[in-house]
Amino acid sequence: MTAPAVGDELTQVATPPWSDRSAGDSGPGFWRWQRLLLSPRVLASRNRYRRYSRAARLRLGGFALLGVAFGGAVFAFFYRALSYFLSVPDFGPILTYKLLGMVFVTFFSILLFSNVVTALSTFFLASELERVVAAPVPVRNLFYARFIETVVESSWMMLLFSAPAFLAYGIVHDTGPGFYLMTAVTLPPFLLIPAAIGVTLTTVLVNVFPARRTKDILFLLAVFSIALLYMLFRMVRPERLVNPQGFADFTAFLNAMQTPEWTFLPSTWATEILFPMLGLRDGTPYFYFAVLVSTAAVAVMACEVVVSRTFASGWTKAQEGRQTRKAMRPVWERVLFVLTAPFQSATRVLVEKEIKTFFRDTSQWSQLILLGALIVVYVYNFSVLPISGSPLVTFYFKNVIAFVNLALAAFVTASVAVRFVYPSISLEGRAFWAIKTAPVSASQLWWAKFWCGFLPLLVLGEILILATNYYLQVVPFMYWLSSLTLLAMAFPIVSLALAVGVAYPNFEAENAAKVASGSGALVYMVQCMSFIAAVVTLEAWPVYVVFSSQFSDAPLGIFGWVGVCLSLTGVAALTVAVFVFSVRQGIARLEALEV
Amino acid sequence: MIELVDLTKRYVNTLAVDGLNLQVPDGEIFGFLGPNGAGKTTTIRMMMGLLQPTSGRVVLGGHDLAAEPLAAKGLCGFVPDRPHVYDKLTGSEYLDFAAQLYSLPEGVRNERRDRFLEAFDLGNWGDELIEGYSHGMKQRLVMASALIHQPRLLIVDEPTVGMDPRGARLLKKIFKDTAARGATVFMSTHSLEVAEELCDRVGIIMKGRLIALGTVAELREMADHAHDSSLEAVFLRLTGAEDDVVEEALPA
Repeated sequence: MTAPAVGDELTQVATPPWSDRSAGDSGPGFWRWQRLLLSPRVLASRNRYRRYSRAARLRLGGFALLGVAFGGAVFAFFYRALSYFLSVPDFGPILTYKLLGMVFVTFFSILLFSNVVTALSTFFLASELERVVAAPVPVRNLFYARFIETVVESSWMMLLFSAPAFLAYGIVHDTGPGFYLMTAVTLPPFLLIPAAIGVTLTTVLVNVFPARRTKDILFLLAVFSIALLYMLFRMVRPERLVNPQGFADFTAFLNAMQTPEWTFLPSTWATEILFPMLGLRDGTPYFYFAVLVSTAAVAVMACEVVVSRTFASGWTKAQEGRQTRKAMRPVWERVLFVLTAPFQSATRVLVEKEIKTFFRDTSQWSQLILLGALIVVYVYNFSVLPISGSPLVTFYFKNVIAFVNLALAAFVTASVAVRFVYPSISLEGRAFWAIKTAPVSASQLWWAKFWCGFLPLLVLGEILILATNYYLQVVPFMYWLSSLTLLAMAFPIVSLALAVGVAYPNFEAENAAKVASGSGALVYMVQCMSFIAAVVTLEAWPVYVVFSSQFSDAPLGIFGWVGVCLSLTGVAALTVAVFVFSVRQGIARLEALEV
Repeated sequence: MIELVDLTKRYVNTLAVDGLNLQVPDGEIFGFLGPNGAGKTTTIRMMMGLLQPTSGRVVLGGHDLAAEPLAAKGLCGFVPDRPHVYDKLTGSEYLDFAAQLYSLPEGVRNERRDRFLEAFDLGNWGDELIEGYSHGMKQRLVMASALIHQPRLLIVDEPTVGMDPRGARLLKKIFKDTAARGATVFMSTHSLEVAEELCDRVGIIMKGRLIALGTVAELREMADHAHDSSLEAVFLRLTGAEDDVVEEALPA
C-alpha cells in the first residue's frame, strides 16, 4: 500500500465532506461552515491575547477599568434622571418614555452608520477575504459568516454600554425579571435590522463606486457628522437642561426633549415593547415584538438576496486596484509653489511632499474638519460665558480667565501636535528609505517637518487666543502677553513633538491615529504639559502685579518692573532652552535612525 | 568605487554581518549572493546608510559614509528589495521628488522624468497616484528613480523579484548600459541565472561572512566543479546545500 501523496492530502482538506451542497446549506453543513469561517477571527483574538506582554495586559486591564467607569457613569446618569422623572407627577412617565425613545433612536442611527462602515471591510476589503472567496465556499454561507462578524463588530460596544441604561430603567421602576428578559429578546432583532440595512447599502454602494473611494466617502461623512453633532450639541447649550426653571415654560422643556414619533421605525417598536413593561402605562408589547422580529427576519433575508446576487460584481469592483485617481495639478501646484517659495530647494521638495501626501490622505486632512469644529466650540464657549457683576469682579474674572486660557490654548495646541506633528516621522513608513539614502541631511529633513507643523499650529493657537481675548475684552497688556507667549511656546511644542516622534518611530503603523496612541505620545504630552505648566507658573506673578497696579491705578515701582522683567526673561530662557535642546536631540536621533 | 572595511553588524543576539571586507572597482557589475538570512540585505542597508554598522567602515567613491554621508549618498542610486513608495504621490511627482533630492536642475529634471517614465513603460501612468500601481509598476518606478540622477554607483537589492520577463530584460539592459558608462552595479540576487549572465565578479556571503569571491570561473574552480557546471551547482556546493542535503531535508 502506497502512502498518499502530499497533493492528495491537501485536496481532502480543501473540500470537507460536509461542504457538499446536496447536504443542504441550512442543514448541519451550514453551521459547520459558519464555525469554520468564523474560526480564524476567534483564533486570532485568542492568539493575540495569549501573546500579550505583561505591559499590554496591564494596558488592557486599564481600558477595562475605564470601560467599567464609563458604564458606571452611564448607569448613574440614567438612574438619577429616571428617579427625577419618577418624582414629577403627570409629566414623569412622558419624560421616561421620551428618554427611552431617544436611547433607541440614537442606537439605531449609530448602528446603521457603524454597520455600513464595518460591512465595507468585512465583506469587501478585509485582506483575509481573498483566501475565502477563492475557496469553494457557497456564497450563502459566506454571507452569513460575514454578516455575523459585521453584527458583532459594529454592535458589541453599543450593547455593552446600553446594559447599564436598561439596568437603571429596571431598578428605578422596580420591574422584576420580566423587563430584563424582554430587553434580552428585543435587542437581538433590533441589532439585526440596522445590520441588514447597512450591509445592503454597502453592497449597493460598492457596486456603484470603487470600494476604496466608498471608504473615503464614508469616512468623510462620519467625520463631518461627528463635527456637526459636536457643534450642534454644544450650541443647543445642554447645560440649560439641568435647570428646567430656566426655560420660558415647561412645554419648551418638553419640546427640547422631543423625539420624532415615527411609528415605522424599529426604535419606536423597541420603545413600545419595553415601556409597558415598566408599569407606567398599558400597551401592546407583544404585537410590537412580533413586528420587530418579523421585520428583522425579512430584512436579513432581503439582504441575503441582494448580497448573493451582487457580491461577485461588488467584490470584483473592490479588487480593481487600478482604480486610480488623477491628482489635481495645475491650480494645486501653483498654490503649493507660492506656499513653499520661502524655503531652500532641498527643504522645499520635502515640504511639497509633506503637503501633497497630507492633503491626498482622507484619514489625515479630514481631521481638519474636526479641528474646525473644536475651534468653533472653543471660541463659542467663551462667547456665552456669563461675565457680569461689579467692575472689580468682572475685571479680575475676565483677565484671570484670559490667563488660564493661555494654558488651555497651549494644551489644545499640544494635543493637536500629538496628532499631526508627533506621527510625522513614523508616517514616512517604509518609503522612508528614499530620503534616508538621498544626499539630504537630517537637519534639512528636520526643518522641513518642523515648518510644516509649526505654521498651522501657530495659526490655530493664535486664533484660540485672539478670538477668546476679543470675547473677553481683556486689557491690551493681556492681549500682547498671551499672544506673544503662545507664539514663543509654539516653537518648543512643535520641536518636542518631532523630537519625541523620532525617538519612538513606528514605521509599521497604518495611520497617524495609531502612531498618536502609542507610548511615545504619552511621553510627549507629559513633557509638553510640564513645559506649559512651568511657563504659566513663571508668568503668573508678573500678570498679577501688573493687573493689581492697573486696577488700583498705582504705578508699578522700579522693583516691580525688575521683577516682571526677570520673570518674563525666565520664560524666554526656558522656551529657548527647551527649543534648542529638542532640536539638537531630534536632529541627532534622526541622523542615527535606522530604517 | 566600493570599499567595505571590517564591516560588522550585530543585532541583540545575532551577528548579521561579521567583519566583511570587500572592494569593487569602477565599471564592474558585482553579484552579491547568499542563502536567505546570510546578511545580504543588512550589508546593503549599511552601505546605503539605512543601518548603522556596529563597527567597520563603508567607503563609496572615496567618501567615508560615516564622515561624509551626503557626498557618499550623492553618488549612489538605490533600489530596495521591496518597492515601498509614497502612495499618495503620482509616478511623475515621485520621479520629480527623487530628482530634486539629488539637486537636478529643473530643465534636466523635467526632460529625464518624461524620458524615464516612457522608458520604464509608465508613460500612461505618470499622472496617476502610485497607490493604484501594480507591484511590477512600482518596481519599475523605483528603478527609474534610482537612475534619474545617473548615479556612479547603483546598489540593487533583489532586482528581479516580481518582475515579468519583459521587465527583467529591461533591467539586464540597464545594468549593462550603466556599467558600460563606467558606473558600478552592486546587486544582491537570488537569481543565479541573472548573476551568471551579468556579473563580472560574484561574492558569496554566508552567516555574515564572505565565503567566496571571484569570477564565476574562479568560483567553479574553488568548488571543484567542471568548467561547464552551472553557477547554481557551484553556489549549492559552496553554501553546503547540495541536492542530496536538500533531498534529505524533505519528507518522503
